[in-house]
Amino acid sequence: MTADASDLSLVQRVQHGDRGAFDVLVLKYQHKVVKLVMRYVRNPAEAEDIAQDAFIKAYRALPQFRGDSAFYTWLYRIAINTAKNAVVARDRNPVDFDLDMTNNEESYEMQGRLKDSETPEALVLTDEIRTTVNAAIANLPDDLRTAIVLRELEGLSYEEIAATMDCPVGTVRSRIFRAREAIDSRLREVFEGGLGRAEEIG
Amino acid sequence: MSNEELDSQLSAMFDDELPATECELLARRLARDEQLRGRWGRYAAIGACIRGEHGVRLSAPLASKVSAALTQEAAARAAPATDRRKPGITWVTSLAGLATAAAVAAIAILWIRAQGPVLVAQSQSGPVPNLAAQTKMAPSTPVTATPPGAEQSAGQVAAALTRPRPSREPDSYVVPLAVPQGPALVPPTELANYIVAHSVYSGPLMRRNALSALVGEDAAAPQVITLQPIDATVVTGK
Repeated sequence: MTADASDLSLVQRVQHGDRGAFDVLVLKYQHKVVKLVMRYVRNPAEAEDIAQDAFIKAYRALPQFRGDSAFYTWLYRIAINTAKNAVVARDRNPVDFDLDMTNNEESYEMQGRLKDSETPEALVLTDEIRTTVNAAIANLPDDLRTAIVLRELEGLSYEEIAATMDCPVGTVRSRIFRAREAIDSRLREVFEGGLGRAEEIG
Repeated sequence: MSNEELDSQLSAMFDDELPATECELLARRLARDEQLRGRWGRYAAIGACIRGEHGVRLSAPLASKVSAALTQEAAARAAPATDRRKPGITWVTSLAGLATAAAVAAIAILWIRAQGPVLVAQSQSGPVPNLAAQTKMAPSTPVTATPPGAEQSAGQVAAALTRPRPSREPDSYVVPLAVPQGPALVPPTELANYIVAHSVYSGPLMRRNALSALVGEDAAAPQVITLQPIDATVVTGK
């Protein structure tokens, strides 16, 4: 089995002009990239903008990607550079406000409001998703819960999980899949309509 | 393949634990199948939730934004690409212009060739200082090639037309039997050579017409020529 094979197959599709394959890569790495960028900028909206720029840069540079390193390593490097450049640019060009605004406290308050993309609805939705996922995980049988947590939280490979849980790799694959299915079906129950409705709410 | 098997593969692919060959097939399907991509996105959200990452959503606003930006960028690139096609169109246009110019030139040569005897007949009356002035005086009734005040027999005309050609004309494999003398606009032999030499570049129809005109005129050369009234506007182009 080739490490990073799934990313490589998607990358190759993008290199042959399949934009849908790039959407799949963005879906997979968007949370991780935003989390990475948030080490450089505290503001979630800014982090999301930088992550968007990073993905666009990655798309443009993808024809030159030869697979010498893993795709995510390459993508993370682009994201870090984009974040660093954004911080430098922001420091050079601070946001100007209306000159009539003489009250400094009011100015800081405005700045805070402008940068806060976390609308109450979005925050509620994020909390609701987290609550639903945690509840679903809590209801999973032990073997499924252990498998999914080792995979997602600890980042172990199937082989490492198999060694830890003392079971075949195939069993690990099945357990992780069943854990995801259980959580996903619970999410779909809560957010009826799935992706579309959630997008409206969010 | 059952849905469960497909979803199991999707889960393994998400974890980079699917064999490369299966990945290729699934990647193709994943890129096309909106529903499968939605599931893929939820798997990512579940993982982010477990890791306690910030701002987890089931929707994919970032993916949508990136996709929209890339679509916009592609559209912007397509516009200059349309402009880039213009040189091609210009090339075709210029080629068509060239063909038109060549056709006009060929018609002009044929026309001059057809008018050749008239000019020859006029030249026999001496130098033509002002062709336009002369054509203005031309009567409206048909006239012969005889200059005013002098009678010429058909034999004299034939003799004049069959006079040996001047030495300045090059030897050629195509020499008209009757070479008219006088200050014609284009010497007939040169003209014939030019048409034959360049007929390889003309279309089949044009080539046949040009060569037929030459052959036809050669056959008719010794005859006495009766001039028709000259339209001044045609000759002078005014």
